[in-house]
Amino acid sequence: MDYIFIDKTIKVSIYKQIASCITHAIDRRTLKYNDRLPTEKEIQEIFDISTTAVRMAYNKLIDEGKIKRIKGKGTFVTNRSVYHIKFHEIYQYEQAMVNNPDYEVKSLVLDWVDDDIVIHRMLKQPKETKIRYFSRVVSYKNNPIVYQKFYLPEGCFPLLEGGNMFTEPLFDWLRDCKHVVRNLHNTFSPIKASPAEAQALNILPNEAIYWIRSRIVDQEMRNIGYIVNFFPGEFTEFEVSVHAKQ
Amino acid sequence: MPNNKALELITIDRRSKRPYDIQIKESIKALILDQTFYYRDALPSPDQLADALHIDLELVIDAYAQLLRENHIKKNGTDYEVSYLELTNYFFDRNTAIYDAILALGLMPSIECVEKRVVHLDRKTAQSYGFSEETRFLYINRIYKGNLRPLIILENYLPIGLFPDIEEKLKGDEPLNAFLDATYGLIAKESHRVTKAVNLTARLAHHLNEPVGAPSISSTNHVYDQHGRLIDYGRSHSISSYYFQSVLPVPFL
Repeated sequence: MDYIFIDKTIKVSIYKQIASCITHAIDRRTLKYNDRLPTEKEIQEIFDISTTAVRMAYNKLIDEGKIKRIKGKGTFVTNRSVYHIKFHEIYQYEQAMVNNPDYEVKSLVLDWVDDDIVIHRMLKQPKETKIRYFSRVVSYKNNPIVYQKFYLPEGCFPLLEGGNMFTEPLFDWLRDCKHVVRNLHNTFSPIKASPAEAQALNILPNEAIYWIRSRIVDQEMRNIGYIVNFFPGEFTEFEVSVHAKQ
Repeated sequence: MPNNKALELITIDRRSKRPYDIQIKESIKALILDQTFYYRDALPSPDQLADALHIDLELVIDAYAQLLRENHIKKNGTDYEVSYLELTNYFFDRNTAIYDAILALGLMPSIECVEKRVVHLDRKTAQSYGFSEETRFLYINRIYKGNLRPLIILENYLPIGLFPDIEEKLKGDEPLNAFLDATYGLIAKESHRVTKAVNLTARLAHHLNEPVGAPSISSTNHVYDQHGRLIDYGRSHSISSYYFQSVLPVPFL
């Protein structure tokens, strides 16, 4: 906690000093998203001050949305920017990523789907069809914005043979594979993050996340791909304007 | 869905290396996700299913427990039923009253008014909601239900300047848009919505009959009338087994 300095000789109240030290530490990135702050008691003992002052400082920062208390776990830094997405353009980052160093893509797993009835059903494929599976995390300015799992039937994507992953935007790549996409069928719902999803998104397990499943439908109405996206719930805003029927 | 039909559809593959409980869970999940099993359909009892598949009862109970945890099914007394509820792209393609969207799901809509009172907001709060002049509002907090079960809880701030005597005229359990049109001739023409996924607070969880911390889609809405005026600021929270779909045609990609 070497980012907290308290000067009892000056006229600035102690709670304001603590709050401003923590604010500065967050601004300088000494304290990062999800870092745990010392307990009120720890600060009180080290600086020999009242717990009321510490509590007031923490309450001020909670009101400002900089930190949050989680019952039984402690107090954590919450500064993290919210990623805005137009509801009808959920894959807009695919294009935004191109030549933009603020975005980073980390590929995690490349494998075959092993006997997963849900995936076969979503792709309307018989059990015998081999399905490629791979996962990745897309980050914007060091914060994960989406954790994705792609499921692609073998026959549909000759470019995948040899274990190559695509690095260009998804829809450019689909075009390169000679697919004419008709539409995306998306289903949105809220779920609690599993430990693996939480780790990928740098949030805590059980925090609410969006679970967005997309079926990619081509001109012949075939399901040529299935994408499962996890977006961090507090840090992703979907935005839409709708009009009344005339 | 007749029970014996459901029994035939849930299958396992004895040659597969996957544990039977996982296979049962995934078989049921696939049937729910592709809407073969629909909202509030009853699942076979664990006993029936264990008998039909000739496997241990424990394995079926484990599979059901996993589906319960993932919010795909709910326990209703001793029976299990599908809780997955999929909305079509109604909400996100045009401005549809929640009441009508519930009807479109084939459910009987009803509205319970939890709270209704006149509030004075300070200028700063009112401005943060998007109102530049108004500070006096009718605040209403209502639960929209389908077949008497909560689906969405909604709080609205309605500017009294635009709606004289609304605190007397609005009972609270009527569909809001239809009321505003019939009483004041104002049409909810455009709605701007921003959603987040959040964990339900104790108060919201209580009203929606969900566990505290259950995942929910929260939406902040600004509604504009035919003259482009902001007539309603609202916040809503959905139950956790609520889904919505949107089909995005190519021009959007």
